[in-house]
Order: sequence, then structure tokens, then C-alpha cells
Amino acid sequence: MFIAFFGEEKMSRRILTVDDSPSMRMLLRAALTEQGFMVFEAEDGVDALEKLETVTPDLVITDINMPRMDGFGLIEALRSGQLCAGLPILVLTTEASEEKKARARNAGATGWIVKPFDREKLGAAIRRVLH
Amino acid sequence: MTALSQIEPSQIRRLTVAQGDSLASTDPNVIFTTVLGSCVAVCLYDGAASVGGMNHFLLADPAPLTGEDARLLNRYGLHSMELLINAMLKRGAARWGLKARIYGGATMREGLGDIGTRNIEFARNFLANEKIPVLGEDVGGASARRIDFRPAAGLSRCKVVSAKPAEKIIIKKPPASTGDVELF
Repeated sequence: MFIAFFGEEKMSRRILTVDDSPSMRMLLRAALTEQGFMVFEAEDGVDALEKLETVTPDLVITDINMPRMDGFGLIEALRSGQLCAGLPILVLTTEASEEKKARARNAGATGWIVKPFDREKLGAAIRRVLH
Repeated sequence: MTALSQIEPSQIRRLTVAQGDSLASTDPNVIFTTVLGSCVAVCLYDGAASVGGMNHFLLADPAPLTGEDARLLNRYGLHSMELLINAMLKRGAARWGLKARIYGGATMREGLGDIGTRNIEFARNFLANEKIPVLGEDVGGASARRIDFRPAAGLSRCKVVSAKPAEKIIIKKPPASTGDVELF
């Protein structure tokens, strides 16, 4: 009988959260680190593009309404580049309008999550997108 | 015509801000009104844009404090504040022009723990984290309050009311469909 001594070695998946609200970033950090993810933060689209040069996340979670560069701008910028063309991007927003959802989808978002988020549903969606 | 009636009384619209609501307006004829027990209302105002807004929230169920990350218990208040700020921005307010007043958070009866105090603390911490200056507050105590806020002018008024609000401590959970995920 074999006994697993080491278990399966797992590297923490890296997530970049993009939200202009420090409180929301704090909430996301709490919800994601508790599920074993490594969290990096940016405060808007411009900041996210800068952080992406050093962070190399496995997934991006972005708000829509943000100063300087909003979520749509960020998605478009990521999808137009070569490096991040395949990077999963989940939109996390208070917006529920079909029009904005369609806009995010057309821009290349991977999924759409309406706030307030549910930790388990968010975690499940992330794992599904990352496999 | 009295001096007070610069606005025809018939034109004034009173909008009740119920628990869970976040409203913003630039309409000089609108008055937001609410009655608070242990709930908290935050009034936001951007004077340059003449946009005002008010919410009315209660934090999550105080019972299951154990085991759960305390930060996560703030999600109802956080959501309410985010909706309020977004409503303000949509009507032309600037994120960095916002100023706040905090109302409510009374201790309405024994046995409810310090839910009113926790609501106040949440509002203070949130506004500090978001760097939104608090111009004043009328919080705590043991009496209910009635708040009237004229959003376009940024004028608020707080009165202690003897009648208790219809406060059954309805812990408003988000609808079951909350946090729904749609993968494209």
C-alpha cells in the first residue's frame, strides 16, 4: 500500500485584482487568499497594465467603473497585446445591464460576475477558468 | 407666500431610502428621507457637481462572527457604499470631490450586541480607507433618528424621533442569485 507523503505539489495560482476601491480590494484579498490564491492588486486599468509587467498573473479580476482606465479599456488593452491575449479576465461589477455585459464579452472578457459576490461561486468560477 | 416656499411645496418629492437602498440625485426638488435605528445612513455630497446621495444599510448577521473572516462580514455595507458611490459618479460627481456625513447606529435594545456600533465603525473605516472626508456625524445613543437630505444642495437634517422605526432587524440577504457567474 502506497502512502502519499508529499501530496500533490501545487503552486498557488496568481490573481491580479483591479478595483479603485481599497475596501473592495481588501474584501477580495480576504476571499481569495482563504481559497489558496496568491493575490496582487491594482487600483485601475493603467495601474493594472503596469503591474502586469512584473506580476504575470494566471487570471485577472476587474471592476468596470474606474478612473483613468475603466474595465472595458483594460480588457481591450490586454486583448490587443500578444502576451496577454489568452489571459482569463473575469469582470466583477455592480452593473447588471445586458448591454454592458455584451460589451465586455465582445471586448474579450472571459466571464461576468455581479456584485455582491459569493465567495464559493467566485472561487468555483476561477477554478473552472484556470482548470 | 412665505420666505420658506422658494420651492413650491407641490413640487417637492420625498423619496424614502429604505434599508438596502442607495440613491443619488441632482434634483433640487428631491428630499431623501429615512428613519434609522441601529442601521446607518451615509450622505455623500459633491458640491462642485451639486450631486448628493444617501444609503441605508445594516451589516451582516452578527451571530456567526466566529470562524468567518471579520472583513467578509462587511460585505453588505461595502456593497451598499459601492452602489452609492457609483450612483453619485453616474450623476456627475467626482470621486475625489466626495464629502460624507454619517448618521444612525443607535443601540435600540439589549441583546442585539453592538450592532449599531459595528455599523458606525464600518462606515468610519470605509470612508477613511476610501479617503472620503467625514464632515460630521450624528451617531450612537439609544434613540431612533429621522434624516432628511436635500441632495442637490447637500443639506442634511437629523432629528431624534421617539417612535421606534419598524426595526425587526431584518437581515437583508442579497437575493439567492447573488454573485451569479456567467462564463462567456
